[in-house]
Amino acid sequence: MVETGHFALVLAFALSLVQMLLPLVGARSGNRRLMAVGGPVAVTGFALTALSFAALAGAYAGSDFSVANVWENSHSLQPMIYKITGTWGNHEGSMLLWVLILTFFGALVAVFGSNLPETLKANVLAVQGTIGAAFFLFILTTSNPFIRLNPAPIEGRDLNPVLQDLGLAIHPPLLYLGYVGFSICFSFSVAALIEGRIDASWARWVRPWTLVAWMFLTGGIAMGSYWAYYELGWGGFWFWDPVENASFMPWLAGTALLHSAIVMEKRSALKIWTLLLAILTFSLSLLGTFLVRSGVLTSVHAFATDPARGVFILCILTLFIGGSLALFALRASRLTAGGLFHPISREGALVLNNLFLTTATATVLVGTLYPLVLEATTGGKISVGAPFFDLTFGPLMLPLLAIVPFGPLLAWKRGDILAASQRLMAAFALAIAAMLVAGLFIDGGSVFAALGVGLAVWLVAGALTDLAVKSGVGSVTPAVMLRRFAGLPRSVFGTALAHLGLGLTLLGIVGTLSFGTEKILTMRAGETVDLSGHTLRFEGLFPRKGPNFTEDRGRFLLISNGNADGEITSAKRFYPARQTVTTESGIRTLGLSQLYLSLGDEGKDGSVVVRLWWKPLVTLIWGGGLVMMGGAAMSLLDRRLRVGAPARRRKPAAAAASASPT
Amino acid sequence: MLFWVIAAILTLGASLAVLLPLAGGTKGSSAAGDHDLEVYRDQLTELDRDMARGLIQPAEAEEARAEIGRRILRLGSASQTGAAAPRPSRAARLVATAAVLAVPLVSWGLYGELGSPDLPSQPLAERLAKSPADSSVDELVARAEAHLAANPSDGKGWDVLAPVYLRLQRYTDAVTAYRNAIRLDGDSAVRQAGLGEAIANAAGGIVSAEAQDAFEAALKLDPANAKANFYLAMGLAQEGKKAEAAAAWQKMLGQLPPDSPWRSAVQQALAETTGPAVAAGTPANGPDAQALEAAQQMSPQDRQAMIETMVAGLDDRLKQNPRDEEGWMRLIRSYVVLGKADQARDALGRAVAVFGADSEQAKKFTAFAASLGVTATE
Repeated sequence: MVETGHFALVLAFALSLVQMLLPLVGARSGNRRLMAVGGPVAVTGFALTALSFAALAGAYAGSDFSVANVWENSHSLQPMIYKITGTWGNHEGSMLLWVLILTFFGALVAVFGSNLPETLKANVLAVQGTIGAAFFLFILTTSNPFIRLNPAPIEGRDLNPVLQDLGLAIHPPLLYLGYVGFSICFSFSVAALIEGRIDASWARWVRPWTLVAWMFLTGGIAMGSYWAYYELGWGGFWFWDPVENASFMPWLAGTALLHSAIVMEKRSALKIWTLLLAILTFSLSLLGTFLVRSGVLTSVHAFATDPARGVFILCILTLFIGGSLALFALRASRLTAGGLFHPISREGALVLNNLFLTTATATVLVGTLYPLVLEATTGGKISVGAPFFDLTFGPLMLPLLAIVPFGPLLAWKRGDILAASQRLMAAFALAIAAMLVAGLFIDGGSVFAALGVGLAVWLVAGALTDLAVKSGVGSVTPAVMLRRFAGLPRSVFGTALAHLGLGLTLLGIVGTLSFGTEKILTMRAGETVDLSGHTLRFEGLFPRKGPNFTEDRGRFLLISNGNADGEITSAKRFYPARQTVTTESGIRTLGLSQLYLSLGDEGKDGSVVVRLWWKPLVTLIWGGGLVMMGGAAMSLLDRRLRVGAPARRRKPAAAAASASPT
Repeated sequence: MLFWVIAAILTLGASLAVLLPLAGGTKGSSAAGDHDLEVYRDQLTELDRDMARGLIQPAEAEEARAEIGRRILRLGSASQTGAAAPRPSRAARLVATAAVLAVPLVSWGLYGELGSPDLPSQPLAERLAKSPADSSVDELVARAEAHLAANPSDGKGWDVLAPVYLRLQRYTDAVTAYRNAIRLDGDSAVRQAGLGEAIANAAGGIVSAEAQDAFEAALKLDPANAKANFYLAMGLAQEGKKAEAAAAWQKMLGQLPPDSPWRSAVQQALAETTGPAVAAGTPANGPDAQALEAAQQMSPQDRQAMIETMVAGLDDRLKQNPRDEEGWMRLIRSYVVLGKADQARDALGRAVAVFGADSEQAKKFTAFAASLGVTATE
């Protein structure tokens, strides 16, 4: 079975070569048979990659230590869920997941792309095949997960204990769905450049892909942030760590792409810009892959460092980014510009959004790469952390967030900023009120807190205002209003939800940073501690034995109003196979806020260092992310997108009619 | 065999995915213009909807309608000038043939390079379930471990497993196993001596106080236990009491039966203790515990070869990192012991050159070499 998986992988590589060349040649020479090869090959390639992945997952599930990759990253005593998620909890396996998703998306284009113009589909599949071929070759030559050991060791080295968590089941697949989803947008862009023209249906196809990729990337980042929050035991949710930035940059660029694609789809404007953004977004995904996988950065994500891998990914990076940008430089002038619009209009607002977002992306890029370049050229080591980003990224985001509510209220082509402002009066008043309350009446309030809370409320109220205005609140009877509300296009809900989610995330961040409290102390069994109105009693440390670890579990009793209100446990775990200690933090969610505690070092007299945090509204940070995902999902359900790829039901008749003369 | 059948079927399927579309007739398909027209039409109806909801002002809507209309007109003129698809060329056929051939050639060729087709899958459960006669040592150990995890009070099991651990160089596990065996099945000279050996090896070959205790316990039960005697003498040598160590080993030689496997080890140790510091006990620079153990079981020729390799290794290290006084002295001494006077002299010359002929170190080297009977050339 293992070797079957290995063979399937090699076969998938061979097919990706065919997929790379034949449709492209066919599209150039107008040979429809060659173009037709793309579809079946893409589907078969996906099936083979899936078989290969299943074989590796099977080897993990069955603890087959004759596979070197399994031996290095698994242990027979691990619970089954971690055995399976361990498949992608390492470099080789995660790259296999990467190509699995890549070929999956390629197959989706092949299956559902029957209504795409023939040459466009062929070119898209060819570009997709090229990306696939490059990564298959990368896997087979430098990161082969199917290398065997003979004789096989009897026990594995265990998965990195930090990764033995449910987060590993969710975070990487979501993130990869996002990263790799943008490869479709990239392929569409490059295909359009190869053809030298953009079909009107182009944007209709690219926008749903952007939405899908953006939705998963949002979820992946939010999940990664929450995972780091509870697993690392520092109580932080974002560290401006280069690896986080690597995922954040495609997100920012993807958000810009999402908005410019709307303009392109609705108004056929901003075509060239959208194309460039699609290329840049996937380039940033590739850059992220390079940074994380090459060993340039040291982090939990850089599983093993091997110079050969870094050089190979750098080559892939150069080929795709350089190649696509060169093609863009050559061909962009041949593409025609689209519809006209007034600066103050929906289009204008979206352009402004794009300007801010791309500048913000550039800022993060500089902050991430500058230390690396400096180290490579002068050998000096500097760390660019939160202060840099607070000073650069923050000021860029403030005006952007402030104008977000205006966008959806402006009309296409020519908008009326005054009318929009009047409609937003209520939201504005609400935001000012929230600012005053936060600044004056809550302990720990500061200018930052007041401003942040005000901005967050402004975003949330603005999003709701949009829905209210569009369903005609105040001008029609409630019955009509309800009917209009229900009849609003799904994309309107999508916009409102996404903007609302943004506001919620902001509220969570501001709430935690401004009003959170923290305590570090040594405690003995029986002692109590007060934190922001909550009382905790330390019950003591209790040893426990898990399947592949032993732990000292600290039990704390939460006391509210003099009554016991449940227990919170935090543990220090020891994993003998890797001789590693991890901290399991104890978290209790109370409303939207959380009580977070983690154990530090143990003293000789039975005392233990305990770190406690009260994190008000912290769950909103990730809850907002979920709401944003919901917005994207809602937008995907929009009728327009189903029509957008020209209606399938009506099409066959038209197609048959036009085909009959040939 | 089954694997090759599966591989062949997969290859066939993949080739068909390429071949069928190439061979099949192409169904009629719409021109790109039709797709565009569909989109423009939809844009028009959407414009009406937006106007009804006040998302666009009537004047602008009119303008937008005109824009879309112009695009439709342009589309019409473009589709009239569009040429018919050219006939498949010979080049295209060539490409197609190459592609069909490439699938089996690339996959079988590459797999031949990378794969291990003869190696079956080996899930752990299956490996542990097969008959003991077919199992490897590791598998047997794993099975014994599983048994002991379920029955930790089986002293016999620990007793069997402990020396196996020792041979597999899992010294820490061996310590645990010997302790458990002694606790459950009682003391014996063999177990105590084994425990001592495990402790010493776990510490990189150093006979620590803890190890000494174990060896002494073994001697109390059996004063003639060779292993305990040998290691205790080794401990003396490590403490620098070389004369006492040598005496102990000499005594062992007198007592050991002529066919004892310990005889050669003792002779070896004796030679080293009376000779240079290549002897046991300096894990940082000398041979590690593993190499020592190996040396004890070697033929004299092999042992000589091993020592020479180690000396050559030291020589290499000094070439890369020459400012190592002690290293040079050790190298000179090693060459003298090996009977290679020329090389000893050469090493002395190089050592002096490194530190400069007038330096303190150079004088020290020369004096040291002279004490071993080596004088500098010229």
